[in-house]
Amino acid sequence: MTISITALSVIVVLATSVATLTPILLIALFIRDWKKGCLW
Amino acid sequence: MTGLDDPILPTSIAWGLLAAFSVLWVVLGWWLGRRNKTAEDHMLAGRNVGLALATATAMATWVTANTTMTAPQLALQLGVWGMLGYSLGALGLILFAPLARRIRELMPEGFTSGDFIRLRYGKFTWRVFLVVSLIYAFGWLVSMAMAGGVLINALAGIDYRVGMTVILTVCVLYTLLGGLRAVIGTDFIQTVIIIAGAAFIAWLTIDKVGFEAIHFNLMEERPELLSLLFPAAIMFLFNNLLFGVGEIFHSNVWWSRAFAFGRNVGFRAYLFGGLLWLPIPIVAGFIALATPALGINVPAADMVGPLVAAEVLGLTGAIVVFIVVFAALASSLDSLLAATSDLVTRDIYRGHIRPQASEQHQFHATKVIVVLLGLLTWLAASYRGEIPIVGSLAELLYFTGAFVASAIWPIVAGLYWKKANPQGAAWSMILGSGIGLTSYFLIGFYVAALVGAAVSLAVMVLTTWLMPRPFDWGRLARSDAEVPA
Repeated sequence: MTISITALSVIVVLATSVATLTPILLIALFIRDWKKGCLW
Repeated sequence: MTGLDDPILPTSIAWGLLAAFSVLWVVLGWWLGRRNKTAEDHMLAGRNVGLALATATAMATWVTANTTMTAPQLALQLGVWGMLGYSLGALGLILFAPLARRIRELMPEGFTSGDFIRLRYGKFTWRVFLVVSLIYAFGWLVSMAMAGGVLINALAGIDYRVGMTVILTVCVLYTLLGGLRAVIGTDFIQTVIIIAGAAFIAWLTIDKVGFEAIHFNLMEERPELLSLLFPAAIMFLFNNLLFGVGEIFHSNVWWSRAFAFGRNVGFRAYLFGGLLWLPIPIVAGFIALATPALGINVPAADMVGPLVAAEVLGLTGAIVVFIVVFAALASSLDSLLAATSDLVTRDIYRGHIRPQASEQHQFHATKVIVVLLGLLTWLAASYRGEIPIVGSLAELLYFTGAFVASAIWPIVAGLYWKKANPQGAAWSMILGSGIGLTSYFLIGFYVAALVGAAVSLAVMVLTTWLMPRPFDWGRLARSDAEVPA
């Protein structure tokens, strides 16, 4: 039983998309915390 | 074709990158730590770390050199399940989220995981826990320093001992200057660098090679890597899961963050950190599946990631990999140095040697201990292969598996089970570690964590069932309270 091209590509593209968005999300959270004065 | 005989990055460029990032981390560490005045500032960054920095530091610390280098290796050896299994390491962070909230609620003034064990179970269990925890922490520190030397040597041809010394010195310096505030601040930048770099390489691999070519070539040359019924890979999945949970539940690296994060931040930070960490081993590991399509000869499995990156991206790929690896190493080494020095300062120095040590005295002691830990780590990592137990990274890590897995149940029971037996907690760690280590030598490395956790669970449940000891949760709120021997 082997994984199909579709399943492999869905897993990898999904993972890579989340990883691509993560730095943006972290920076957005950082700016939000900074504006609210709750960075530390 | 790329081979390991020629480093993938010119040494001069590698030295330039090492120098630039070393200066950046040290200056940032000094700047962030300049307002630290007390041991609490230095060890716990003021106890009010916000969600952004908290999430990033949880992720960065859990992204080690193993994640960036071993995930591709596992994909190459165990196929699709290798990278998926590695990504399950995220469960350790996710499952720690409710524990972090409970820890912060029960111990608003706590400093270390040792504080909890001492107050919850008494001095005997505390001492057993310290042995388990310090063996693991030192093993991880040495393995990270060794990974630094090995990777810098493999990527850029810089001598093992020189590379290891540089990365260790940089981490000691900025941890010394800025404490946990420096560690968390640099972790944020390191997380962004690591994830962006890994995603960049993955997208370019998808673009240049494509899924059809990857799948076709794997079916022709290594069909087992696409198999969903690969027994060795499925066994690895469970072993890795338990190991990861044990590492996070007991280690002061994660406890010190639970104490440092602001109220109501710990739960969300560990949950988000785990969910966002989940795809990283898939992203880092997937590129190894492209090796048959690219026709790359892989002389050493743990170097497959850099080899693919260099093949797909040339010099740019090599530079990206070098920066990502340096960031991953530093983000784990600094956390370990800070958390282990806190544990030694609070639980060994103040707990056993100088009980009357003032806040200011502990502030200075923790700095001296960071330097001493750095020196000890350097000594052990310098004699790689010459000290029997310090053989390879994998051997060292799996050896500690029995210790960490045996600490899972005493921690969980201590936090949630009012009647957990203190002696049972000590013996669950002693017997779990002992029998786990025996199975490591008699059966194989892959069962140490599994056996350690199973024995520890049995002892904890049995002793508490036979001899329950009710506990007043309120005692945990006073971190300086006296406890029975």
